[in-house]
Amino acid sequence: MDVAAELLAGRVAAGARAIRWLDDGDPRGRAVLRSIFPATGRAHVVGVTGPPGAGKSTLVDMLISEQRRRGRRVAVLAIDPTSPFTGGAILGDRVRMSRHALDEGVFIRSLATRGQHGGLSRSTYDATLVLDAMGYELVIVETVGVGQEEMDVVRLAHSTIIVAVPGLGDEVQAMKAGLLEAGEILVLNKADREGVDETCRHLELLLHLRAGSRGAGTWSTPLLRAVAARGEGGDAIVAALDAHRAHLVASGEFARQSARCCEAQFLALARAAVLAELKARAGAALLEEVRSRRLDPYSAAERLLAPLRPGACG
Amino acid sequence: MGEAAVRPLRILLAKLGMDTHTVGITVVAHALREAGMEVIFTGLKQTPEAVANAAIQEDVDVVGVSSLSAGHTRNLPRLAQLLKAQGAGDKLLVAGGVIPEEDLPLLSAAGFAKVFTMGTDTRDIVAYLRAWWAGRGAAPSAPP
Repeated sequence: MDVAAELLAGRVAAGARAIRWLDDGDPRGRAVLRSIFPATGRAHVVGVTGPPGAGKSTLVDMLISEQRRRGRRVAVLAIDPTSPFTGGAILGDRVRMSRHALDEGVFIRSLATRGQHGGLSRSTYDATLVLDAMGYELVIVETVGVGQEEMDVVRLAHSTIIVAVPGLGDEVQAMKAGLLEAGEILVLNKADREGVDETCRHLELLLHLRAGSRGAGTWSTPLLRAVAARGEGGDAIVAALDAHRAHLVASGEFARQSARCCEAQFLALARAAVLAELKARAGAALLEEVRSRRLDPYSAAERLLAPLRPGACG
Repeated sequence: MGEAAVRPLRILLAKLGMDTHTVGITVVAHALREAGMEVIFTGLKQTPEAVANAAIQEDVDVVGVSSLSAGHTRNLPRLAQLLKAQGAGDKLLVAGGVIPEEDLPLLSAAGFAKVFTMGTDTRDIVAYLRAWWAGRGAAPSAPP
């Protein structure tokens, strides 16, 4: 059967298999992507990120319910870390979303990072394209629990929700340099906990400082309280997501964001291919010269690239 | 799309029915992760329908069901049947837990390749799955 045609028709098994191929680096995944690419670019890609224990999966579970209430089809990519020692992983995010298991309008896929840093797997972007082509209006990408620098999701998603919780004083400090500057919606989850007002004030101050450094007409990041485990606050989050999407569409930024993702993926793939090609061209002899210190790395790089430069013969 | 293809075995671990004992399945999950496999959990009190849907969405190679209460003679064949009906009959089905000897032929006939009864060493489970995976040549899956 034709996996690309089947997934375009919305067949779940076909989409799931295409994601597997792309995750595994199977060449058939590339062929599928080539066929479905023209059908992509419609879905609203939403990132959900924050420190470990912030309740990201529970928040996603609530967002699925809220979006389904509005009749929208939702796909979720839930990323968990691969053990750098064994290559194995335990992927447990869907446990918190198990009440949606029988809903045909919901697709949930767990992905392991497989050595990729930045909070996502190498296949995450490709998987969003597959889900987009399957007609899911919303694709939620839940990252691994992240700290300061892992924010690849911000580049991937149209809208990123940063999840914070009361009492993570140091984490909030750490976030302000990285995540907090990047997200478009800030959610203070577990807002029934002690210390919520203090954390709220702190975050408000940070947002205020951030707003002051940006021009007029830019998106103003809302700070929303939620208790996801009780289903509280979801309505306001979805309203903020819709508002952000409208803001992006009105400014042309929605299409530009998608275009940047394509470009970044193209360059990443090209970079990997060029690197592999260079390694092959360098050959064992040149690598050995460097390893044994007979040739310094700079000269070796010069020698390797010399034939590729404009004006070079051969 | 990395330059080097990595293809770890993906296995869904599920609990069917009302039992809430998670020690066994948790120990198995950790052993499988240590063996380099990707283990997906579905949560407790799952129906065969929910597990079949999850197995298809996750496109796992193996579905492992833990059963520590009665119901396995009904639930497990139902799960196998649902997977087959949805074109996912290529997945290896294994079970574990409290399963009486006399039920084994029924589960085997339903499509369960192996039942790990109480007291099975996790190393035996790992060895079994590795041998099966190697036997398939860790072959890339065909179109569903």
